[in-house]
Amino acid sequence: MLTEIQLWAILNGTIVTIEIALVAIVFGAIFGVIVALGRLSKNKVANGLSWFYIWFFRGTPLLLQLFIIYYAIPIIYLDATGITFEVNPMIAAFVAFSLNATAYLAEIIRAAIESIDGGQMEAAKALGMSYRQAMTKIIIPQTYKRLVAPLGNELIMLLKDTSLVSTIALFDLLRTTKTMASATGSWIYYIYAAAIYLFLTTIIQVVFDMMEKKLGIYER
Amino acid sequence: MSMVKLVNVRKSFGDLEVLKGVNLEVSQGEVVCIIGASGSGKSTMLRCLNHLERISDGEIYIEDVLSDKRANNKDLMKIDPVTVQSLCTDLGMVFQNFNLFPHLTVLDNVTIAPLIVKKEDKKVAETRALDLLSMVGLFEKKDEYPSRLSGGQQQRVAIARALAMDPKIMMFDEPTSALDPELVGEVLATMRQLAEKGMTMLIVTHEIGFAREVADRVIFMDGGVICEEGTPEEVLLNPKEERTKSFLNKIL
Repeated sequence: MLTEIQLWAILNGTIVTIEIALVAIVFGAIFGVIVALGRLSKNKVANGLSWFYIWFFRGTPLLLQLFIIYYAIPIIYLDATGITFEVNPMIAAFVAFSLNATAYLAEIIRAAIESIDGGQMEAAKALGMSYRQAMTKIIIPQTYKRLVAPLGNELIMLLKDTSLVSTIALFDLLRTTKTMASATGSWIYYIYAAAIYLFLTTIIQVVFDMMEKKLGIYER
Repeated sequence: MSMVKLVNVRKSFGDLEVLKGVNLEVSQGEVVCIIGASGSGKSTMLRCLNHLERISDGEIYIEDVLSDKRANNKDLMKIDPVTVQSLCTDLGMVFQNFNLFPHLTVLDNVTIAPLIVKKEDKKVAETRALDLLSMVGLFEKKDEYPSRLSGGQQQRVAIARALAMDPKIMMFDEPTSALDPELVGEVLATMRQLAEKGMTMLIVTHEIGFAREVADRVIFMDGGVICEEGTPEEVLLNPKEERTKSFLNKIL
């Protein structure tokens, strides 16, 4: 059985895992809408910047992005200014995961917006709505139901990918249990970790299923 | 005063010229039915009026105010988005596929534009919307979502939604073409009611019987131009142009 110290350590690791996943999904969704609208924009600068953002953050490993923020930026800063500073590893994880999730969610949101029938925008415009009014009141609200499933998918991926933060001196769920397993030579800690991951992803799955049903009410 | 005036309007989609110089003037209270084969430019003409499509050449006036003036796909006047927006609200439009907002109830479909475009008071907008829904015979459906209505009911809600913006001109783009035959009558009845109230109407339709009955003027379009126009008797019963005759023969 687990000692009290072990129990607390696993709990702390679980909290680190949950925190990073939640921060990433929230900021990813907010900035994802902005990048998605950029991709849909006729403005060449907005479109190009959004394209570049998605190209970079989707095209390079998350682990690499984490290393750049945690290890490379302090070195670049030191070379430039001669001042040393350390990035708080938790902040580095929040930033890297949020930036990465933004790129994926932007594409999901863009596809959802494009899947809404073109007649909706025309009807909104014919009623005198501006592009902004049509987007916020007519088009985007219709994407919510279509976004729930891919958003749940992304959150589950994020939750599992948080194990990457063990590389930047953070003790997440997996690293905590792995340390215990190595120290004691027992495999049981891996079972605990698996059980907790499954418990968390089950909650996500159930909650998102409920949300999807609720949001689809108008589709009878 | 003319409600709508098109002067030498041309519209191309790439190499395809859909409107090849259309001139049309519609006066207040007039009901104009536009007939013609698909691809003749009927719908495009309506869509140019409220800027869903931008014309390539020509001028458009709405209530004698210049709303668009272009040559070779370039603006010859500065288009102010606010002016275009207010002109669009003078032109109500009803679409072939209804295009109701599926995430809003029937009542919210009718009130949303007055609320967010005109910033109307919620009570005022709702009272008016309920009046309009009574007029189209759907008061009791006010809390339903569009997916629970039949096509004919959806189209009547769409008419109420357009009327909620207090348009001076109503445009109908094949309003009954997507309906099952037994549902066509109820939509036409609503339109007839509007015509009797003196609404200026531009109706693209294949319902020749309806056009004969309510139109003050019938326009036959072919190949991007107005081929023949006149009273329903002139155009529908005694057409002069060969192309009008052959079109009417095909559909009657």
